[in-house]
Amino acid sequence: MKLSSCPPSCLLVGIATACLFTACTTVNTVERAAPVGQRQMVNDKRIITDAGLNRAVRIVGVNEVPGEFLKIQVELLNSTSSLKSFNYRFEWFDANGVLVHTPTSTYISRQIEGKESIFISAVSPVASAKDFRLKLIESTR
Amino acid sequence: MKSATSLRTLLAVVPATVLIAGCASPQATYVDSSGPRTITTVGNINIQDYANAADTMVNSLIEGVINSGKLESVGGQPAMLAISRIANNTSQHVDTDLLVKKIRVALNRTGKVQTTTTIGLGGQAEDPLAQGIKQQTEFLQDKKNTRLPDYSLSGKIIEQRERAGDVRQSSFIFQLSLTSKDGIAVWEDEKTITKQGKRSTVGF
Repeated sequence: MKLSSCPPSCLLVGIATACLFTACTTVNTVERAAPVGQRQMVNDKRIITDAGLNRAVRIVGVNEVPGEFLKIQVELLNSTSSLKSFNYRFEWFDANGVLVHTPTSTYISRQIEGKESIFISAVSPVASAKDFRLKLIESTR
Repeated sequence: MKSATSLRTLLAVVPATVLIAGCASPQATYVDSSGPRTITTVGNINIQDYANAADTMVNSLIEGVINSGKLESVGGQPAMLAISRIANNTSQHVDTDLLVKKIRVALNRTGKVQTTTTIGLGGQAEDPLAQGIKQQTEFLQDKKNTRLPDYSLSGKIIEQRERAGDVRQSSFIFQLSLTSKDGIAVWEDEKTITKQGKRSTVGF
C-alpha cells in the first residue's frame, strides 16, 4: 500500500502502533517565561557526520562562563520521540591550539528522553586552556 | 593432467588454510581506554566509571573551590593536599587509587594543588623513602621545617544493587570531601553511576 493512498486515520494508527513498540515517552517542561539569568552564548562551528544522531541529540546552543578556568555548557535537545543513548567528551586546547591531555578525559554515557532538553558542561582542566571541542557519538554498546 | 594439477593446488591450499585458521588465537585488539568501546558490566565498576567519577569530581573542585577563589594556601604556594581514607564499601576488591590518582594528577596539573606523599593516614607515608630523606634532611639541618597539609581528601565508594524480574541494576556512589586544616569540609560532592542489564549479562 502506498503512503499516499493511506487515509489519515491509518497513519495515526500506524504512528501510535510504532510509538507503542518503540516506547515513545516525551518530556513536558515549564519554566520562567523571561529567565533572569542571561547566557553568554558562544559562536560555534558544527561538523555533522551522523545525521541520525544529530536528530536525536541536537546541539541547541553553547554558552561559556568566563573565569580563570573556562566553563562550557552545551544544551542538547532530542527532537525525536524516543529515548536515545549517546556518549560525549570534551577536549581542551591551549592558546597555541595544542590539545591539553588530562587523566580524567573520557567518553561519558548519557541518555536523553524524547523531546527532552539537557545540559552537559565541563570546566577546563588547566587555566591555559582557551578553546574546546565537544564530541558526540552514538552509544556503541 | 588437469586432475593432477587440481590435486596439487588442493594440497597446497588446504595446509595453508589450516595454518592460517588453525593457528589463529582468539583475536585481541587494543581499544582506547577513554573511548566509547570499552566493556561495560553491570556488577562491576568499570574503568570508564572511575574516569567518569573522577572527571565529575575534578570539574566540581575546579569550579567550586579553585575558580571561586576559595582555595587557601601559605604564601601563595600551591595548596598542599593529603590523602585520607577513601573507604571501599562495595562488595568488590577495589583499588581506590583508580579514582584518587586521576583526581590528584588533574589537580596537580592545575598548578594550584600539590599532593604530599610523605604524610599519610596513621603516619604511613605513600613514599617511605621520600619521608626518610625528608626526616634526614631535617635532622642534618637541625631544624623542623614540616609544612602541614592545607587540605585532606576523604571519601567513600558505596554500592547499591536492585533487581526487578530479569533486570538487575547496580549503582555505585562516589562521595568525596575536602577538609581544611580547621576541620571544615569546604567542598563535598557525590557522583552516582547506575547501570542496568538483563540476568544473562549480569555477573551476580
